[in-house]
Amino acid sequence: MTTAGKTDKVSVLVGTTKGAFFFHSDAGRRNWELTGPHLDGWEIYSLLGQSGNTNGHSGSGSNGHDRIFAGTSHFVYGPTIRVSEDMGETWTQVEASPRYGEESGFKLNRIWQIVPGHRTQPGTLYAGVDEAGLFASHNDGTTWEEVTGLSRHHTRSEWGPGNGGLCLHTILVDPTNAQRMWIGISAVGVFRTDDGGLTWKVCNNGLPQGPTGVRNQEVGRCVHKIVLDPADANTLYCQFHGGVFKSTDAADSWQPIETGLPGNFGFPMGVTANGDLFVIPLESDMQRHVKDGRLLVYRSRDGGESWAPAGRGLPEQPQYVGVLRDALAVDSLNPAGIYFGTSMGEVFYSPDAGENWDRLPGQFPRITMIKAWVRDGEESA
Amino acid sequence: MEKRVLSMGNTGIEVNLPTILRDCVGGNTQVTIEAGTLDEALQRLCTTYPLLRIHLYDETAQLRPHVLIFYNEESTRWLERLDIPLQPGDRLEILQAVSGG
Repeated sequence: MTTAGKTDKVSVLVGTTKGAFFFHSDAGRRNWELTGPHLDGWEIYSLLGQSGNTNGHSGSGSNGHDRIFAGTSHFVYGPTIRVSEDMGETWTQVEASPRYGEESGFKLNRIWQIVPGHRTQPGTLYAGVDEAGLFASHNDGTTWEEVTGLSRHHTRSEWGPGNGGLCLHTILVDPTNAQRMWIGISAVGVFRTDDGGLTWKVCNNGLPQGPTGVRNQEVGRCVHKIVLDPADANTLYCQFHGGVFKSTDAADSWQPIETGLPGNFGFPMGVTANGDLFVIPLESDMQRHVKDGRLLVYRSRDGGESWAPAGRGLPEQPQYVGVLRDALAVDSLNPAGIYFGTSMGEVFYSPDAGENWDRLPGQFPRITMIKAWVRDGEESA
Repeated sequence: MEKRVLSMGNTGIEVNLPTILRDCVGGNTQVTIEAGTLDEALQRLCTTYPLLRIHLYDETAQLRPHVLIFYNEESTRWLERLDIPLQPGDRLEILQAVSGG
């Protein structure tokens, strides 16, 4: 956690189905400057801001420049990663972007996630894609290679898509162990590697298998989002297709944590540096909009033991909107900033860990994802 | 509009691209490829501008389903063979197939 300093700059990177929009502020997070659209016309399913002036932590690259990576795709022209070193003014496509080989039989449709590797591995990045797979770069995103230990998993033939596709949407790197990572795939489940990606263990014990039509009992779990407790690398939280779960054994098992929630269906999940958890419950998978038209963010301040609506300032009028799995983010300042975007293109934020909410100016295309980036401090998911 | 001419032999064929792909060819929406046949022109387009290969063709080297490449007035999908000798004035146009709702 970073205490807000006078020099901190906060950028909120918003991806939509038609380009990206960036909000910039100081650490007070009251006045925001908007830039965009960036990459107009391209779907943006992943963005990563990397600070170049902070050596060694998980948000930094190795070349000394602030950079933004964008996972772009288009229903006609397919996906590539693009990189900007001038805050989105200009972009360069990565020619050796993630791409499956012809022999794999897989198609790469979208790039759902771009995250930095362990802090001891500067220059390493991971990308999660649809069709589900993991790619790694060890040269600051210049070239990418498939992590075949996952693609060739013995359950691969039983992997099936959710409504959002067969997407690898979550990548969590253990800050205490460079060899350990977790990934989430919809509608397949949670996997963990303890050997840097060579082998992967299915971690679905306790997550219910819904009616996915999959025979294999190991997979077929529609995990929507996973977050890692910043203070304890054995504790993870999961917003599932039908449930909110916690693991205290590095995802070897999961237990439900739903006391106080109006429903257990939802997509995004966030955790602050001090452990506050945030979810946005939706009506069931039939409706996929907020419960009873009330846009409420639920917060837990006791590790998921109990939940309650957080703060004041969200719209009182009916809001029959949804919030997608990556469209909620927290920053690393203290108090934490919380940001989320809706399916109707509105961005709401709280500068004080959910006590007070306001809306950022503008109406955007459907918001696919949001990342918060503290440019002189630590980057966060 | 700026034109880039690549001297690679034979006949020059003008290639028009949609604006969304112009960063694949250095910011232009029109380039000229020198080739002997249509097939060579298509191959040289992608070897000269490798990013175009990603956006026009899938992992199995098939044209992406909603991409159209017109050789003069005909879609390349309609042609039985691509080893057609190029003539002065030939054009290629890359288009997004109408696929709205």
